[in-house]
Amino acid sequence: MHRLFALKREYTRAIRVGWFLALRQIKRSNKGTTALIIFIMVLTFLNLVVVSGLLVGLISGSFKQYREGYSGEVIITSAPGRDYIENSPALISFLGHHPNVTAMSPRYTTSAQILGTLNDNPEKNERPNSIGARIVGIDPLREEAVTGFSRFILSGSPLAAGEEGAILIGANLIKKYSSFADANIPGLNFLEDVDVGTRVRVTLTSADGRAVRKEFIVRGIVKSKVDEISTRVFITSNELRRMLPVHKEQVQEIAVKTDAAYASALVRQSKQFMGSNAARIQTADEAIPSFLRDIEATMTVLGNALSSIALVVASITVFIVVFINAVTKRKFIGIMKGIGISPRAIQFSYIFQALFYGIAGSIIGLILTFAVLRPYFNAHPIDFPFSDGILVATPAGAAARVAILLAVTLIAGYLPAKLIVRKNTLDSILGR
Amino acid sequence: MIRATQLVKTYGSGELSLTVLKHLNLEIQDGEFVAVVGPSGAGKSTLLYQLSLLDEPTEGEVYLDGIKTSGLSQAEKTLLRLHKLGYVFQDYALLPELNAIENVTLPMLMQGLAESEAKDRARHALGRIGLSDKLQNLPSQLSGGQQQRVSIARAIAHDPHILFADEPTANLDSANGQRVMEAFRDLHAEGQTIIMVTHEEEYSRHARRVISLKDGAIVSDTRT
Repeated sequence: MHRLFALKREYTRAIRVGWFLALRQIKRSNKGTTALIIFIMVLTFLNLVVVSGLLVGLISGSFKQYREGYSGEVIITSAPGRDYIENSPALISFLGHHPNVTAMSPRYTTSAQILGTLNDNPEKNERPNSIGARIVGIDPLREEAVTGFSRFILSGSPLAAGEEGAILIGANLIKKYSSFADANIPGLNFLEDVDVGTRVRVTLTSADGRAVRKEFIVRGIVKSKVDEISTRVFITSNELRRMLPVHKEQVQEIAVKTDAAYASALVRQSKQFMGSNAARIQTADEAIPSFLRDIEATMTVLGNALSSIALVVASITVFIVVFINAVTKRKFIGIMKGIGISPRAIQFSYIFQALFYGIAGSIIGLILTFAVLRPYFNAHPIDFPFSDGILVATPAGAAARVAILLAVTLIAGYLPAKLIVRKNTLDSILGR
Repeated sequence: MIRATQLVKTYGSGELSLTVLKHLNLEIQDGEFVAVVGPSGAGKSTLLYQLSLLDEPTEGEVYLDGIKTSGLSQAEKTLLRLHKLGYVFQDYALLPELNAIENVTLPMLMQGLAESEAKDRARHALGRIGLSDKLQNLPSQLSGGQQQRVSIARAIAHDPHILFADEPTANLDSANGQRVMEAFRDLHAEGQTIIMVTHEEEYSRHARRVISLKDGAIVSDTRT
């Protein structure tokens, strides 16, 4: 017990003296050198948080676009093997009266053939200028409320409520606009010579196998990094219902806008209301394809690997800084030991200095990450071909990285101090 | 009291070995002011390092207040130096990042004194040697003589049993050297035990006992 008390007293004094020394050494050290070391620690922190955050952000940006541009927080689609969401009107009514639903967009979808050049008698060897695509009937106002659909208009103008005879075509279906047009992928066709104002013919197959045709004027071209927008064509839901009168009240998709935190509860309640087999009801996150989740996991691993390298570099940097600092002050370390300052107190002074660099670097890094970089990348995402990359940085993740950085800094500060402090006292004083 | 028996210090080994202290016996009572003199290479500083526990003798024993020091760990010796000994080095040996009062305060903080009490005592010690107006000055802002006096204040502020001084006037001009010696004389008058190494005969006269070394052995031991 007495020994324990003595040890506690020794540590208390060592920490106190270590703090006393560290504070003054930091305060009176060369400001430029201190700033440089802190700058290195800031870069290390950013490397830890931002590099992995951007890598994950490539995929998360894609998730975000999918949620904001297509699915909403909850997406309800036809159950597997079913043509439509059973009892859709009741579900739409349920959602329409739900206090936590901000907006929803029921969508009618079916397969369609779109003929670009209205030439019914092509020459023998001439391939028809047509493609197969998914046609979606939307209520423009409701769609706008959920996804802000008009922002995807690349050329032309959006559909007006109840409008007939007008169509929006996804950019990836048109040779002029598609990013894949020059890829020469077998089986991948595009509409040629189609643009805003062109007449196209849409052919649908009704439930009884009858072909239903109608001509439309291309009102606009829509483009997004979400495939469900860029590879589909859109007309108003009224028009699509008129073309396909069977099950005319039954929709194939409902995108629901709600508070993200409430999405899971809404899914649960909707399933309770509908029964589990009537539709596939998912949060936006659940609806994301598993291969994208796999890519996200891979990016996380990659980010962590890069961060680990940054961490090693940071620890070596701190080690070298503290080592040089201690070596150049070896004589004074010897003097301190000579006048009775315990080696532990001297080691604590170097540990505190290293921690100061780590904490200062982390604080500046946190401010830069959460006050500057994250808002910046949210406002100006990085334009990748398949997504708009954002910076994914959560307070919990950043706190974990701060803890790792400080732990590494502590060790990197302690080791060189221990190496120098344990040298013979007299040799240190005399510089031998 | 400090006592050395059959003290031997040898550097190196084999043919290249050099014995600097040769079976030296010495006893210094509390309150004495001892000057250790001798030509360069006589072993003066080496003797001081052994007595002040900064170095380990090759053979022999050093007893400090009756404590046999050869069996002590480095940590225990550090603790003894902290509580019982004070040092004045030839080159002042002040910590450059600490100002005068902080330099003097440091050993007392290590002893466990509250910072305010340690500072009061440091202020008092600096006042005793005429540096009340230089408390906040960094070593780089002090003259050599002032730095040495701060060093003395640091050595005495925690009331050590023995004050060791290794050539304390070697880097000073004669006026500053005299001031340092006057400080030592005043401390001795108050009962402080002082063991000082010097090669300057002029300063050794301030001591009440002069031990002359030559080739690692005591050749004379005179009291005045």
